[in-house]
Amino acid sequence: MKHTAVYPFTAIVGQDDMKLALVLNVINPLLGGVLIKGEKGTAKSTAVRAIADLLPAMEAITNCPFHCDPGDENRLCDDCREKTGADKALPVHSIKMRVVELPVSATEDRVVGTLDIEHAIKHGEKKFDPGILAQANRNILYVDEINLLDDHVVDVLLDAAAMGVNTVEREGVSYSHPARFVLVGTMNPEEGDIRPQLLDRFGLSIEVVGENQPERRVEVIKRRLAYEQDTGEFAQIFQEEQGKLAASILQARRLLPEAVIDDRLLLLVANVAIALDVDGHRADITVIKAAMTLAAFAGRANVEPDDVRRAAKLVLPHRMRRRPFEDGTLDWDKVEALFAGL
Amino acid sequence: MVQRTVFPFAAIVGQDSVKQALLIAVVNPKAGGVLVAGEKGTAKSTLVRALAEITGKVQILELPLSATEDMVFGGLDLQQAVGCGERRFLPGILARAHHHVLYIDEINLLRREFVNALQEAVITGVHMVEREGISCRHEAVCSLIGTMNPEEGTLSPPIIDRFGLYAAVNRELDAPARAEIVRRILAYDRDPAGFRLQYAALTEGIRQQVAAARQLLPTIVIPETMVLLAAQMCAKAHSAGHRAELFLLEAARTIAALAGRDYLLPADMEAAACYVLPQRMRQEQEPPPPAPPEQAEGEQTQDQPQEQQQEPPPFEQPENQQPEDQSDSSAAEQPPGEGRDQEKVADIDTQFPFVRMELSLPQDRQERRGNGKRSLTRTDTKQGRYVRAGIPRGAVTDLAFDATLRAAAPHQRFRDKGNCCIAIERADLRQKIREKRIGNTFLFVVDASGSMGARERMRAVKGAVCAMLQDAYQQRDQVGLIAFRRQTAEVLLPVTRSVDLAQKCLRHLPTGGKTPLAEGLAAALAVLAARRKKEQDMQPVLVLVTDGRANTAADGGNGIDEALAIAAKIKKAGVHSVVIDTESDFVKLGLARTVARAMGSSYYSLGELSDKNIMHIVRNLP
Repeated sequence: MKHTAVYPFTAIVGQDDMKLALVLNVINPLLGGVLIKGEKGTAKSTAVRAIADLLPAMEAITNCPFHCDPGDENRLCDDCREKTGADKALPVHSIKMRVVELPVSATEDRVVGTLDIEHAIKHGEKKFDPGILAQANRNILYVDEINLLDDHVVDVLLDAAAMGVNTVEREGVSYSHPARFVLVGTMNPEEGDIRPQLLDRFGLSIEVVGENQPERRVEVIKRRLAYEQDTGEFAQIFQEEQGKLAASILQARRLLPEAVIDDRLLLLVANVAIALDVDGHRADITVIKAAMTLAAFAGRANVEPDDVRRAAKLVLPHRMRRRPFEDGTLDWDKVEALFAGL
Repeated sequence: MVQRTVFPFAAIVGQDSVKQALLIAVVNPKAGGVLVAGEKGTAKSTLVRALAEITGKVQILELPLSATEDMVFGGLDLQQAVGCGERRFLPGILARAHHHVLYIDEINLLRREFVNALQEAVITGVHMVEREGISCRHEAVCSLIGTMNPEEGTLSPPIIDRFGLYAAVNRELDAPARAEIVRRILAYDRDPAGFRLQYAALTEGIRQQVAAARQLLPTIVIPETMVLLAAQMCAKAHSAGHRAELFLLEAARTIAALAGRDYLLPADMEAAACYVLPQRMRQEQEPPPPAPPEQAEGEQTQDQPQEQQQEPPPFEQPENQQPEDQSDSSAAEQPPGEGRDQEKVADIDTQFPFVRMELSLPQDRQERRGNGKRSLTRTDTKQGRYVRAGIPRGAVTDLAFDATLRAAAPHQRFRDKGNCCIAIERADLRQKIREKRIGNTFLFVVDASGSMGARERMRAVKGAVCAMLQDAYQQRDQVGLIAFRRQTAEVLLPVTRSVDLAQKCLRHLPTGGKTPLAEGLAAALAVLAARRKKEQDMQPVLVLVTDGRANTAADGGNGIDEALAIAAKIKKAGVHSVVIDTESDFVKLGLARTVARAMGSSYYSLGELSDKNIMHIVRNLP
């Protein structure tokens, strides 16, 4: 696979929340992705593309278009399932998790997959030609300007995201395949809003603003210039830091399954959700999962109240807008008051 | 099909009424299926998918939103046609769902005609296929389960009515129960197999309950008294038609069967009524009997998706809830205006019923670009949803390959195929027909003059506009907002897709001063003209909200005459319009009606809007 140079993740100046949110999702793909809101030129896309470098390797079944996980029998595609049934040892190779981009102009056929034309003509048989959702399985699905995505593509995306399966009933093909992905979306709120239903799908959300300290801005420019002058040398400078971050991501991944959380904290989060009157239960679940991931990232197995507090800040803001027009803001005092009672 | 490990049905905390409704649907197709409604993140889909492992031989087939029509209703078997040159029917999902359960997630996002056709087949239990030279009839006895989030738009009453049962999923408000939900999900994520094992006994129990109920069901006879009771209950609820009685009795029988009894109790009827009647209840002559709290939801979805009964009024914000005298005193602090020209900012009446703006403009053959959901249009971009294929008129720009193959297939025996398996000729080519709904453009022209300033009235006006904006959001319309007061009209919001912004503008809209109605209409005309240059195929609707008491004009002339003149121009420009008359003074001048006539508008009074629950205000456009 060709390797195009990307700006090193650790070279991005500031934007700590955005970087943290992305890293947390890499550590724990069950967090539900992240929505990054902000104006143009605030390194949103750069950060998303840069995370690719830090993504861990994973085992995948060779030649499977959905790169099925040999260790997860429940999420194998039909083909792999059939083959494992016949002969237990399927060839496996190691691939890197990657960032799959969904262009805003993508058609429904490209997203869900379609009939394989060549195969049909040559053999007179139907065969499924996988789309972007197939590529996205076990990877990061990145939609830039997600608020501009066509409604019916959003519907399809939500459909797949809800169950981790893409079901196709079109163009003469009935097919379903695993489609579990980390959804990362970026948007500039000035260009329109995003449907609450889609909003709720994002585990975390953060708002980015440009740096406002002159020294920091200068640093941003300096690094950009250095990067453009010699990408290789620039990457070299950050190699060590990149390596460190990649290592801590791996360590956190290993630690995550051990994470334990106190019942008191579970109850606290439930009370926060009730006090803030958020829709549904996804908020509670995500706060807890994010807190556990934060603890793992900090090298701990036990979740501390501060992990929960930080998680709440990443998880709750975009869930305050309960109605299509409501412009709710997170009442942080309420949250703090509940924490104080701990 | 990918096999999925599902979260066990038995491990879902609470939601007992939804669980029971689902069980009724899987045991007895005659109960009419179930519509599950609830806000996002309330485990609607999890509940339905969890059913899969307790239904025994009955499968849950899922219908994805992107399904094409031939895949649902069936069509020509391609491989058979290519291989043997034989036209043979390939069953669609509907046929596969025979004796099973068909599940549609987000059913409110599907095309109405599509859902209609599907329900029709399910209700009659047979489906006729007439396509691609095939004529076929197959059975389709199944239960339909639909889920929806009312925030994204409601279903039309006839569609809701064809579902036997209705169940609302509510979020849990008890902290320990919420914590338990999280605890179970964490445990499931960590070790799905182990977690499922913990619930294996409970799951098996439910599976046996369902199987036993299926066995028992045919033996349960409905006594005459129960039929009478059903009739009484339905009459009390003012439900239309007689479908309700049948659904009620079937649901009650199934409840009895699930309880392991082979006879009916009045309590079964009462339990069934909770699922069958709420959505059918109507307010006729007398108010309906008070429903238990969870039942009220049903009626709500049909009428006003989220307002009313639910605890927190959506748009109310504390800072706007100033008592009358306080808002007066704050107005007094402002620099003195002209006489009574004091500014007031009324809050929004959040109890205003939902107002649906429905266009009855015929679907034409013109292809439009754009987004939205209100008007169905053909689309020439490759953007829409592929619904079916057709014979191309002119060049093929968007080849429907599947349909092309099917068209070519029966001729293969006689064609020279070269190295391929299929030879395609020009006459076989088929074009994709894609459909998407595009939004319309609603330009709200709101009177913000002093005469509108009476606090309660402006509250109601804002409430009405807000209710219309809610509809606009769901239909992905574009909206614009013009307010007129004092000497001028102001474009508060140029036409935008952000309904959000419109609502914000509305919230902060102050009232006061004279009524330059003519200016307001002129501004609207200008906005629409500019807009038309950008989007020629736009079909704008102007919504004028005023009491019509124009009392100022640019040239110092008669405000009314000037307004009428511009109204006539708007009519001439072919702009559809609606006038909402806010006049409520004791002496009615009826000026807004005069303006409406001049503009060729549909006319409604504010009172009419709030009296009726669903108001199709734009339906009867001239």
